[in-house]
Amino acid sequence: MLTEGLFCKKRIGKRGKMEYKSTSLVPKKADILIIAMAVVMAVAVLAFFAQGESGRVAVILRDGVEIDRINLDKAEKSEITVEGDYTNTILCENGSIGVIHSDCPGGVCVQSGMIKDAGKSIVCLPNRMEIRITGASDIDVMVG
Amino acid sequence: MKNTRSYKIALSAVLISLAAALSYAERFIPLGLIVPLPGIKLGLANVVSIFALFFLGFRTAFVILVSRCLITSFFGGFSSLMFSLVGGIMAVIMMELLRKCRIFSIYGISIGGSVMHVTGQILTSMLIMKSYYVLSYLPVLLVSAVITGIITALISAQVLKRAEKAIKL
Repeated sequence: MLTEGLFCKKRIGKRGKMEYKSTSLVPKKADILIIAMAVVMAVAVLAFFAQGESGRVAVILRDGVEIDRINLDKAEKSEITVEGDYTNTILCENGSIGVIHSDCPGGVCVQSGMIKDAGKSIVCLPNRMEIRITGASDIDVMVG
Repeated sequence: MKNTRSYKIALSAVLISLAAALSYAERFIPLGLIVPLPGIKLGLANVVSIFALFFLGFRTAFVILVSRCLITSFFGGFSSLMFSLVGGIMAVIMMELLRKCRIFSIYGISIGGSVMHVTGQILTSMLIMKSYYVLSYLPVLLVSAVITGIITALISAQVLKRAEKAIKL
């Protein structure tokens, strides 16, 4: 049963040294490799998204969580329903997007009309829903 | 006397409860005030994983990790169990592999573990959300993982130094 760890004779070793002694408790040069690996991963992911993200993309969020994402330059006419405390019906058509129907009090989201430019957004506070259009450049902003 | 199975089990039990308590206590550290980003933790429970890995071996460290995840899921819910389990298992496997390499210090091992932890969590959320756009959050988490990895390594190094004197095994 005790085939590994400190309790194993092999690990304690001939000189009675503990296993972790083989691991330095002060930083070594090789540790840079690990940090480099993390940096490479981060850059690769950023490059992947910088490349894939062309044109205007509408991001739909509820409670700050992204629930859908539409490339406005390519998307066909479509309708999306966002359910929460209230129900928003979102229409995407001819490269623009907007809330066409909502049962929320106030209906500010419907009055905002259709939007199509990068940087514009529509917010429905009662339903905590947000539509945001991002351009190719502001990828860092989308992590809301 | 101490070199027995029951001593090992008792020590594991203490470590499980310590890890569970640490990951619960971590919620009260207002890290959000310093870095206003969601989902960033200090990873104090990882100190226990590192300790267990060095003192009790990979298999025991693995069991301690899984038990800790199951216990913390009582006050976190099922989806948080998925996140911590996948992230934690990937982290502990990575740390064992790096330790086997023998060229990395505790800092490299700890950073590697926390990097794999956030990667595992992003992979889980990709599966749950069925969208690969959550991946775009990975670079931010990777940067924070390197920093928190260094912090946990600092703590672990101190713990290991002192534990060697305290636990005369």
